[in-house]
Order: sequence, then C-alpha cells, then structure tokens
Amino acid sequence: MKTMNGKTDTLISGLVDQLEPVRPFRFSHGMTLALTGIGLAALLVMLLFAVRPDVVSGQPQGIFLLASGLFLLLGIACAASVVMMASPRIGSGRNGWGWALAMAGVLPISALILALIRGSAAWQESEPSHGVYCLGYAILFGLITGAALVLWLRRGAPTSPERAGLLTGIAAGSAGIFAFSFACPIDSVMHIGLWHGLPVTLSAIIGRFAVPPLIRW
Amino acid sequence: MRTDDATLTRLMAMSQKGDKRAYATLLFEARNWLKSYLRRRVAPGHLEDVVQEVLVSLHTKLASYDPSRPFLPWLAAIARYRWVDHLRKLSRSDDAAVETEVIAESDEPAITARLSLERLFTMLPENQARVIEMVKVEGYSIAEASQASGQSESLVKVNIHRGIKRLAAIIEKE
Repeated sequence: MKTMNGKTDTLISGLVDQLEPVRPFRFSHGMTLALTGIGLAALLVMLLFAVRPDVVSGQPQGIFLLASGLFLLLGIACAASVVMMASPRIGSGRNGWGWALAMAGVLPISALILALIRGSAAWQESEPSHGVYCLGYAILFGLITGAALVLWLRRGAPTSPERAGLLTGIAAGSAGIFAFSFACPIDSVMHIGLWHGLPVTLSAIIGRFAVPPLIRW
Repeated sequence: MRTDDATLTRLMAMSQKGDKRAYATLLFEARNWLKSYLRRRVAPGHLEDVVQEVLVSLHTKLASYDPSRPFLPWLAAIARYRWVDHLRKLSRSDDAAVETEVIAESDEPAITARLSLERLFTMLPENQARVIEMVKVEGYSIAEASQASGQSESLVKVNIHRGIKRLAAIIEKE
C-alpha cells in the first residue's frame, strides 16, 4: 500500500506544481454565452433577410408570438440544462427541458392531427417550397448557439456526453428556428408544426451523434 | 479523521484561486476519499490507476467546479465517470481475466447512499450485476463466471456489455 501511496504522492506533487488560478464555472456565464448565441442568430437573420412586416410594424401576429415564444423557451431550457451538465454533480435534477419540449411539441402534434384530417391538402398548406428554407436556415443559424454550447461543454466536465449532445442539438435547432421565424412570413399551423419543428428534430439527431466525440474527456 | 465536505469545498475554492498548499491538502484528502469510494468496485491491482485518473481529471477540470456547491457530489460524479470508463477499457482488453486479487472489505460506511457505487449495482438486473462483479471486480475469467452463474459464456459477455452500458445510462439520468 505504501508503494501505491508513493506513486500517487508523486502525482499529487506534480499536479500541485502545475496549479494555476482558474476562473470557476458559473451558471450565469454559461447562460450568457448561450443567450448571446441565440441573440446573435436573431440579429443576423434580421440583417440578412426581410423581417416579417407585422413585426416591423409593431403588430405581430398571435401565432408568430406563440410559436417563436415556445421555441425560444425550449432553446433556453435546453441550453440551461447543457450549461449545468458542464459542471458535474450527482443528484441534481435537470429535467426542466422535458416540459419545454412537451409544450413545443404541441405545434408538430397539431400539424399531424390537421394532416390526418385534411389529407394531401395539408401538405400544400404547409408550403414546402418555403419550408425547406426554414429548415435549412434554422439549422444553419442554430449552429451559432450549438457552437457556443459545445465550447462551454469542452471547457467543462460533462459526465453524460450523449444526453449533452442531444440537448445541445435541441437547443441549437430551437434557437435557429426562433431566429429564422423573424424572416418567415407564413403563419399556418401546418407550416410551423412541420417546417419549424423539423429543424429541432434534425438538430437533435445531429447533436446526439456529432457532439459526444467533441466533448469527451 | 475524515475532512468534512464544507472544509473540502473551502479548500477547492482556495485551490481555484491558485493556493498550492490548499490544493495539496485537498488532493491528499481526495485521494483518501476516492480510495474508500472505489475500493469495493475496483480490483486492488487497478485501484491506484483509477484513483490517479480521477485526480488528473480533477486537476484538468478544476474550473468546472462551482464553489457555491458542495465538493463531494462533484468529485463523486467525476469518479463515477472515470470508473465506468475503466470498466469499458477492461471490456476491450483481456486484462480482467488475469485479475485475481481478492477485494478488500470497505471501511467507509459514511458515504451517502446517494453517491454510492453499490447503489448503482442494485439498479442493474441481477444477472448483469453478478457477472460484472465476478469478471470486472473479482477477477473471474469468462469461463469461470459462466460456470458460477449458470449463464453461457456468450451470455456472460452480453450481460457484461449490457450492464456497463446500463450503468452509463443510469449515471446519465442522475
């Protein structure tokens, strides 16, 4: 046992010699980073695309406020969970994102119900020609928030990389579609449920598989 | 006498500011705590390696500790991550087959149930927990574990693989 302690003592001496002051992780720092990513994405959309006329005129449509609000809430809830995951601890509940996901899930579920009722007309109603832009740009602008969260996780010590990756993807997709909704003029539930819900799902899948290798330690 | 969590938390906060004396004390205390924590779940021949890996992780991830929170749940989370990592590495090598030392009895009754590695094993199905314990901790060969458990050799391997995967999933949920 002395040999064991001896080797570990030598290691400890080496670690003590290497000690440098560090800036401890704070939840607020991580959230600032994530919210900056969401804000930056929204700002870029507003600078690069024509903003919805109702928003410009200060008279936003109710469905726009409702849908973008839900996606923003989902993005923030997932980002908060990811930020907490970078500082490991046992026994902490981090399931708030699940409720936000359930709330935002109302939109695609509504679209699904409408599709079942209306059949093929629902597909046209979703305006797929514009929908693909929503899908692509949402994923693209979501990368800003995704990158910010991956950066935070890489600095931290996430003990559940797969879940952290999944939540990073949901946060990124939600942030991306929140940002791009300022440029999307379509207010139908079919469009929002399908084409605004899809980027969140796809980002979640991408995050689940692409993020873990980047954050393992 | 074991140092309490409040003292460790203070030492950690001082270490993050660059206080080397506090850091040395903290690392020695952490070493002792980790040895007790891991003793019953890591074979003696590997205990030093795992303790050292956790200490190195503690060092490289020093900033990830939030000083407004207790220290031991943070250390335990890192220890469990490294422990599962260790089990995975053993699964990829044949090292476990030659590991025959007897596990010492733990003299650490004070670890809270919430942090306990024992508790994780109770959350596994019996057939998985038993073969992981036999092969990965007690040093049985696959053939010996198969005989002792009444499971076929391929089932022993499958149950070890599934059990470790499940342990990782349980840790993720917490």
